[in-house]
Amino acid sequence: MKFLLNRANWENFLGQISKTYLIYAPQEFYGELAYQLLAPENVSKTIYNTYRAVQPLKTFFSLPQERVTEETTQAGKTIVLGVKNCDLKAISVMDKIFLEGEFVDPFYKERRDKTLIVSSDCYQPKDTCFCALLDNNPFPEAGFDLNLSQIDSVFLLEVGSPKGESFIAPIKEDLQDVTSDLIQKREKKRKEATERVLEVNREFRTERPFPSVVKDEYASPEWEEAARTCVECGACTNICPSCYCFLLVDTKDEGKFPKVKFWDSCQHTGFARVAAGVNPRAKLYERLRNRYLCKYEYRPENFGIVACTGCGRCVEACQGKIDKREVIKKLEERSGET
Amino acid sequence: MVENPYLPIEAKVEKIIDETSNIKTFVLKSSKKIKFETGQFVQLTIPGSGEAPFTPSSSPSQTEKIELTVMNVGLLTGKLHEMREGEVVGIRGPYGRGYPLDDFYKKEVLILGGGVGMAPLRSLLLTLLENVDKFRRIVLCYGAKTPEDIVYKGAFPEWQKKKKLEILRSVDKAAPGWNETEGLVTVLLDKIEMDLKNSAAVVCGPPIMMKFGTLKLLDLGYQPENIYLSMEKNMSCGLGKCGHCGLGKYFVCKDGPVFKYDLIKDIPDIWL
Ligand SMILES: Cc1cc2nc3c(=O)[nH]c(=O)nc-3n(C[C@H](O)[C@H](O)[C@H](O)COP(=O)(O)OP(=O)(O)OC[C@H]3O[C@@H](n4cnc5c(N)ncnc54)[C@H](O)[C@@H]3O)c2cc1C
Ligand code: SF4
Ligand code: SF4
Ligand code: FES
Repeated sequence: MKFLLNRANWENFLGQISKTYLIYAPQEFYGELAYQLLAPENVSKTIYNTYRAVQPLKTFFSLPQERVTEETTQAGKTIVLGVKNCDLKAISVMDKIFLEGEFVDPFYKERRDKTLIVSSDCYQPKDTCFCALLDNNPFPEAGFDLNLSQIDSVFLLEVGSPKGESFIAPIKEDLQDVTSDLIQKREKKRKEATERVLEVNREFRTERPFPSVVKDEYASPEWEEAARTCVECGACTNICPSCYCFLLVDTKDEGKFPKVKFWDSCQHTGFARVAAGVNPRAKLYERLRNRYLCKYEYRPENFGIVACTGCGRCVEACQGKIDKREVIKKLEERSGET
Repeated sequence: MVENPYLPIEAKVEKIIDETSNIKTFVLKSSKKIKFETGQFVQLTIPGSGEAPFTPSSSPSQTEKIELTVMNVGLLTGKLHEMREGEVVGIRGPYGRGYPLDDFYKKEVLILGGGVGMAPLRSLLLTLLENVDKFRRIVLCYGAKTPEDIVYKGAFPEWQKKKKLEILRSVDKAAPGWNETEGLVTVLLDKIEMDLKNSAAVVCGPPIMMKFGTLKLLDLGYQPENIYLSMEKNMSCGLGKCGHCGLGKYFVCKDGPVFKYDLIKDIPDIWL
């Protein structure tokens, strides 16, 4: 289902409901694009169609720190605006982990259920974005409740789920039919955006797909080289929209067996250490490599999804200036070396 | 809210049995029965201190109480060893996949254990003995550092009398009065003759023993798909979510802890 919607009507609606929902919208924040809590005053400042926000979408569902031995969650009805395709893909990985299998994470589930995802196309990729190198598109095709593509002063609104459909029921009158001209314009913008991502990444293109390079070059000396500047800060895993690892820590708080779940990082020394100090990934480069293997080999084997979506956040966040694309490019270049 | 898998239930430490100078067995009675399959594990919480995975060493048919046999190796196990009878701990689980008993039916089962690795193996052994008619033969090869370090010392005389069960024991360093084998546990494998075509081998012990035990079994002619290993990995959630227990694409807490060797043999560095 696709409709045409005037931006003013949409903003008016958001303003009205901003008291019943927590609405997070990408807005400019100290030169970056960051999710801000929406109120009638700042509703028009939202930037829908550039690139992804600083915060990964996962922060809304898997909190950096949360007590998980509670009987209930405090989650409120939430809307996240301007979500980009790289984050939708990443959330599909998080969903597999937290919602599927024998056990369900009740906190993640509750937040996920109570959140409406309004995605948007990217028209201006950053120079760290590389989704298209991983066969991802800079525009959403699935996994959203609603998608907004701004074209001139109007939105092309696409409905992606029953949840999205019932959400827009109150503004039925504002919805107009889309013209084929509008759809064509969207196609053109999408094509240009994809080309832009490829253009930005010209120097990083490899002959084999990234996942094959990572898998084939397991024994490459490049891993050690790449890890030379890593300071084990864990920024890459924290900022990554598909890094789900956590640690349960028992606390001395009130309650029976109070446990707090913290985001954890496979880059930290002790992450895999077992009793008597035995550590399967004692060396820094082994931990660095593990993160690539997780994204490009292990999770794809489990879920059929490449878990790195090319959002480029880890490239920006790295204290050691490690650029994944460069590492993978070098892995391929040094193929055969031992 | 759907059921909360992070929440332990209460269990009272009913009895503590000293096995060796650094291994104790804890008999726990939980507020709700914990139904587990042999080889599955539980997460034990010491309130305010932490949580760690242990495999029950009792038989799953004993549903009133479960027993954990724990070696004191660090922070949490140290705290556990300081606990007294009557104190309360938390338990979550059971988790993971245990021993696939169906695979063992009509076969000779070789059990190779070292040190506290005997904990899950005792649970398995008790289960096999309860259904002994279903198995051709059971051979237990168990090794410890010294005679004092042998767990379940009181149970061995009983087991020695069981039909279809043969027991061989070794210690790395003998002491006066020891008239069984001296040497690493793998030397016991030279003393036995198994019908390789109809045999499954189960291994649990410290990493180094797992490695050399497996290599020795392969040498003897065991096929990788007939070797069952208990893989010890760092664990936090036990639920297949936290990522700590990764072994290649597997989550040991969910896909293991028992793995057929052929499933994991091509993953680099599995013995660490
Ligand atoms: C499936 C399975 C079954 C097992 N069954 C048995 C058994 O039956 N009997 C037995 O004796 N052992 C068993 N073990 C091993 C047992 O779980 C470890 O010996 C135990 O976890 C060691 O804990 P520790 O704190 O005493 O050791 P430490 O050496 O102090 O710590 C061990 C690991 O836990 C981490 N850790 C320590 N403290 C914390 C903390 N506060 N927060 C987060 N992480 C921390 C460390 O980083 C380290 O990786 C089993 C292990 C597994 C995986
Ligand atoms: S690994 Fe880096 S580029 Fe890939 S999804 Fe995570 S943060 Fe984005
Ligand atoms: S962000 Fe960079 S420096 Fe920090 S842990 Fe990751 S790779 Fe290492
Ligand atoms: S222990 Fe958390 S995923 Fe296995």
